[in-house]
Amino acid sequence: MKKLIVILLLLNAVFLSAQTAQDSTQVYKKRVLESAEVDFLMSYYQQDGDHAAVTGGIGTEKLNNITPTIVLSVPLNEDDVLTIDGEVSAYTSASSSNVNPFDGTKPADPFVASSGASGSDAWIGANASYSHSSDDRNRIWSGKLSISNEFDYFSIGIGGSHTWLFNQKNTEFGLSGNVFFDSWYPVYPYELRPFAEGGSGYFPGTPVYNPTFSTFTKTGRNSYSAGLFISQILSKRLQGSLSADYVMQQGLLSTPFQRVYFSDVDSSFYENFRLADDIERMPDTRSKVAVGGRLNYYINQYLTLRTFYRYYFDDWGIQSHTFSVEVPVKISGSFTLYPSWRFYNQTAADYFAPYAKHLSTEQFYTSDYDLSKFTANQYGFGISYTDIFTRFHISKFGMKSIDLKYHYYSRDTGLKASIIALGVHFVMD
Amino acid sequence: MIKKLLLLFVVAITVTSCVSVKEYEKIYLNDPDMVLGLKKLDRFETTFQAYREAAVGANGGKTGGGCGCN
Repeated sequence: MKKLIVILLLLNAVFLSAQTAQDSTQVYKKRVLESAEVDFLMSYYQQDGDHAAVTGGIGTEKLNNITPTIVLSVPLNEDDVLTIDGEVSAYTSASSSNVNPFDGTKPADPFVASSGASGSDAWIGANASYSHSSDDRNRIWSGKLSISNEFDYFSIGIGGSHTWLFNQKNTEFGLSGNVFFDSWYPVYPYELRPFAEGGSGYFPGTPVYNPTFSTFTKTGRNSYSAGLFISQILSKRLQGSLSADYVMQQGLLSTPFQRVYFSDVDSSFYENFRLADDIERMPDTRSKVAVGGRLNYYINQYLTLRTFYRYYFDDWGIQSHTFSVEVPVKISGSFTLYPSWRFYNQTAADYFAPYAKHLSTEQFYTSDYDLSKFTANQYGFGISYTDIFTRFHISKFGMKSIDLKYHYYSRDTGLKASIIALGVHFVMD
Repeated sequence: MIKKLLLLFVVAITVTSCVSVKEYEKIYLNDPDMVLGLKKLDRFETTFQAYREAAVGANGGKTGGGCGCN
């Protein structure tokens, strides 16, 4: 599978360069992208709950995140478009601050945020993608490079896709592949560190605390994905698509700072905080399959119906269903409203158990509620303003649209989250 | 499972390929809200869902890699 994806990516690169040379003899073609475009995007996300994975399934899940992003698309000629985007995701997290809850400012407690250094960080990522369209615009090749970094994780990825349009552009078929080579810089719960190989074997103030703990020896994580996509115009007002993704991951799939507590091991406390018995231990491979479909219907000049369904399963025992519907409402030539609803449910991973329900004799275990059985509902509302005349300008760029969206997410495990996102789209004159 | 998926795609192509809407008849289909994919602003929503939920893929969002999620 891995070799197949890599071969497909290489073939895609060869076809891309060959097609670029072949197409260079054309005299005039309508440009795929008329002029350079810039998107300034920003989101603010916050969540809270009582099942933090870092404290073994109990404790605060409070998290705030802000994500400024810029996306620049540049037409290199009639056929080729280069897109570069950069994103910074800065967060403060009560949950991850409790990797070290013993900051001394107040009694350690899983429901109280620590002032530890791990309580805030920034994820920085960049992507560059290049696409080439054939003369008749019936074939599109694209390649993509991505890189990202945060304090405990680094990733580099490469991907590509090939799309065919036929049946008078009524049908579209695409293949895609992505490979990511990621690395953890493992950070372990503070109280376990003395019990790693070469450690002191003693945590101050807790003479009976003596966990059996070993660090991870392999810290890489590779992900290989392959995707299929087909879309079809079904009538003058109706079109749909089907897509499928297969993902294979191998390497360190556990999160090193997530604690686990066993029911058959005596508890040790420091202040109000139960000291970890171990960290999450997961298998080093995982295969995922997702199959989804979209169906969009143009009801009239005011209303459009957008629907999505996905079935997912993996070899960790999780199955899930996702359904969403959005009904854009055009209230004028410039303004559109976007009410939406999304339903999601999943079964639990084979290795999940709540706080202090695992046995020390198990091979794999986690108390991460993101892998538990749950149902979630998400309600959204957005508004979009479009100015086709781009009257407002900054330098040579005219503003074409502003989008604002808000979503409220509620999980039956108690997690509540909300996200607000703003996007401003500029087009070069 | 893979065979079933391939069969589904073949059936989908076969059943639907007889439909042909001309370019000049696509005025409704070319509406920006009829796009069969994610808009740029949706990237934040799909990313947080990839962190908070086990399921990924088949929606144009991340399928793994690039973050410690999933």
